[in-house]
Amino acid sequence: MNSQILKMMGSFVLLILAQVLLFNQINIFGSVNPMLYLLFLVMYPFDQNQTFYIFIGFLLGFFIDFISQTGGAHTIASLSVSYLRPIIMKYSYGLTSERPKSILTDPRKTNNFVFLLIFISVHHLIYFSIAYFSADAFLLIIKNSLLTMIFSLILILLISSLYRVK
Amino acid sequence: MQRILNVFVKYRNSILYLFLLGFSLIFLKANSNFHQLKLEKISLFFSSSLYSFSNSINRYFRLEKENQRLLKENEVLKSIQIRSNTLFLYTEGCNNKTNFPFDVQRVNIIKNSFQSQYNYIIIDKGAASGIKREMGVISAKGIIGLVQAVTDNYASVISILNQDMKINVRFKNRTTFGSLIWKGKNPKKFSIEDVVSTSSIKKGDTIVTGGMSSYFPYGIPLGVVTNLENNIQNGYYKIDAELFENPAELYKAYVIENSDFKEINSLMQNIKQ
Repeated sequence: MNSQILKMMGSFVLLILAQVLLFNQINIFGSVNPMLYLLFLVMYPFDQNQTFYIFIGFLLGFFIDFISQTGGAHTIASLSVSYLRPIIMKYSYGLTSERPKSILTDPRKTNNFVFLLIFISVHHLIYFSIAYFSADAFLLIIKNSLLTMIFSLILILLISSLYRVK
Repeated sequence: MQRILNVFVKYRNSILYLFLLGFSLIFLKANSNFHQLKLEKISLFFSSSLYSFSNSINRYFRLEKENQRLLKENEVLKSIQIRSNTLFLYTEGCNNKTNFPFDVQRVNIIKNSFQSQYNYIIIDKGAASGIKREMGVISAKGIIGLVQAVTDNYASVISILNQDMKINVRFKNRTTFGSLIWKGKNPKKFSIEDVVSTSSIKKGDTIVTGGMSSYFPYGIPLGVVTNLENNIQNGYYKIDAELFENPAELYKAYVIENSDFKEINSLMQNIKQ
């Protein structure tokens, strides 16, 4: 238990640093920066206290905003997505089925993927809506969220598979 | 108390979420000028629509007061307006009271008839407010009649919708005079008589009060000429006119007092004798 908490804290710090120092500088096609830090919110065990989880989601976004000097889009997006996680879970794993413990250990691959897809797309949509914050930029928001979503999805799938090997 | 706590515990996630969302919005606002502007716009939109809603309700309840205020203002403006119309008659200036004898008082019309051929109006001010016989009554866009009888608090007015009434009129920007007489059917349709056929009048000319009688000052706009026929046999025009305002639909009016009325009248008496 103790080692797991340490591991989580370690990955929390690591993911923030990786996001801020590395992935925010990538700029694929000029502006697309994959958001790896979502991995933390995804792999956080499902059976833990939801209230604490919301707070963690808030902190994660807050630190990234704070360090990278952006407004508050990361904070709002990750906070909202962590609040919505139980609902997304319901839709991707089914209402009646057994609640998975963690996305890393669950054997239902399709459901895991769907969960990841919804989770990331909701986050990106919120993030870009806040970043552009204008109804005129609707198409821009959609375009950017789709592009970024693809890269975030690939990156998160890759790195989460690394976790599983461990 | 227990229940309230239960609710808090039950919805703790949503409450925490909303709380943190509010916090991050403040954070967003503090950090980015762009978002600050946008958020202020949104809050302005909400507050302004809310305020305009409450304001429209408030305005509705203040209408009566506002109406009174406007009528008072009108009273002042009306007297200035009829003064300005007569500037050229009284070249000394419109502020000099002796040069311009007319004074305006606001009244409500409480009974207005128009079905008969000889119509009368009752107004809600009388001798107590200084209303006397043979004062003119005008409205915003025309004239209404002459005060006929006065009691303490009320007065009756001979409407211009009365076939006994002849009103001295003049065509705007011309020197021609005539008499305005009601035709007896439509409250807006009048005819103008006693206009010599040598005078130049066109269709669409504006009719104003003539200022020849001591009842009405010069220049109150009344209506327009709608039809014009030159009657060669008797040498007079046959003119149809339409009023700007329907005298049957009014409920506010102004009584104008000519303070030199007695003086002028006594001269007339002398002439008759």
